[in-house]
Amino acid sequence: MKKGEPEVSIEKGGDLFNIARVFENAEIAIKEGDWMKLKDLSNQTLHSATVHQDPLNIMTAVLVYSLSKIFQRKHYREMEGWQEFNDKLIKNWEEAILALTMDDGEKAIAILGKIRQSLNEISGNLALYLKDIFRKAEINKAFKLYENGLTAESTADLFGVSLWDLSSYIGQSSISEAHVAQSLPEAERIKYAEDFFK
Amino acid sequence: MKYLIFDAGPIISLTMNGLLPVLEKLKEGFDGEFVVTPAVRKEILDKPLKIQKFKLEAMQVQKLFDKGVLVSSTKIVPTSKLQKESSRILKLANNSLKSTKTHQRIKIIHDGEASCMAFSNLCSCDNLIVIDERGTRILIESPESMKNLLSKKLGTEVVEVGDSLHKFKKQRFIRSAELMYVAHKKGYMQETTKEFLDAVLYALKFKGTAISIKEIEEIKDMVVKK
Repeated sequence: MKKGEPEVSIEKGGDLFNIARVFENAEIAIKEGDWMKLKDLSNQTLHSATVHQDPLNIMTAVLVYSLSKIFQRKHYREMEGWQEFNDKLIKNWEEAILALTMDDGEKAIAILGKIRQSLNEISGNLALYLKDIFRKAEINKAFKLYENGLTAESTADLFGVSLWDLSSYIGQSSISEAHVAQSLPEAERIKYAEDFFK
Repeated sequence: MKYLIFDAGPIISLTMNGLLPVLEKLKEGFDGEFVVTPAVRKEILDKPLKIQKFKLEAMQVQKLFDKGVLVSSTKIVPTSKLQKESSRILKLANNSLKSTKTHQRIKIIHDGEASCMAFSNLCSCDNLIVIDERGTRILIESPESMKNLLSKKLGTEVVEVGDSLHKFKKQRFIRSAELMYVAHKKGYMQETTKEFLDAVLYALKFKGTAISIKEIEEIKDMVVKK
């Protein structure tokens, strides 16, 4: 995003229009290989993903974050299969923008699915690395949503990740230290447990 | 009869920390059942059995069902009745808060947690819910805090829809941490030292139990006092 340009907000009506703007900004970043810009865009999509909890916002958050990680690792660009991946990515990205500007959210979701699917068609080790990045991005974004106040089960379900995967991430969260997370005095909770096992 | 109702999180954190044998010992001396609803069973058994990474853990959980340490709620409350009550709770909880910016309702809880609350409402017996993650606990024990937490995290005002937050039956919750405290006190762990309890509580924290360092220290202090 250029300096002075307003932040993209998806927390309003005209959601598809805003997601389209995220995609347009991300397209520039992809072409420039600017992973920092992609990371910023990914963070912007997260709040709307928490509020809306819809597939398009969530897929956008995961995809843009994954791409920031992929473009951060510059040596991937030297690997077999990179050109193939990059060409398909840009082609699908442009199609997704077109779908979004035509208010066709379902088509956009299908195209995002195609980007994910294209990983299965890449030759060499690159596909393995990229799939791993996507998987970790899903867990990472799911964890962020958990930190935004959703329950672990809801976030795991939204992102299609396992609660077992998420549990270690939750353990790293500082949210449990927050005062609001302590909804009952500890002595009272211990008393519940002790009385029940008397 | 008493029912200790388990959400998925506590079973996951106990399994991942090798503490299922302690759960077994707790059941031996308990005058009641350790209950798991179908929605929770799906998370702790059916799904992980299909994931190689967690298949071993799922098989350990399976053993607890085989031994009768964990029992299905369907033996106590019919599935159809449980589903109906779960749906009512889900609808109430997930329509209780909305963003003032988008006017969109915020989905807070999910099937597993709702099914535990539903069973608690329907079983007509003394019961306690074991739930490690904070969302459901905050929603029931301190609804205002849930509103404040979401407002802060989302950077937008979140308001209650009508008085829906106050329509929930006040249920009692503990976490795997309090359960392990009881086990420690009863001498069901391999070591009875305070140091061992400290290790267990932190291990639970790092495997998903939403508990603060302050709360862990409070639990440890109780060992000294009692």
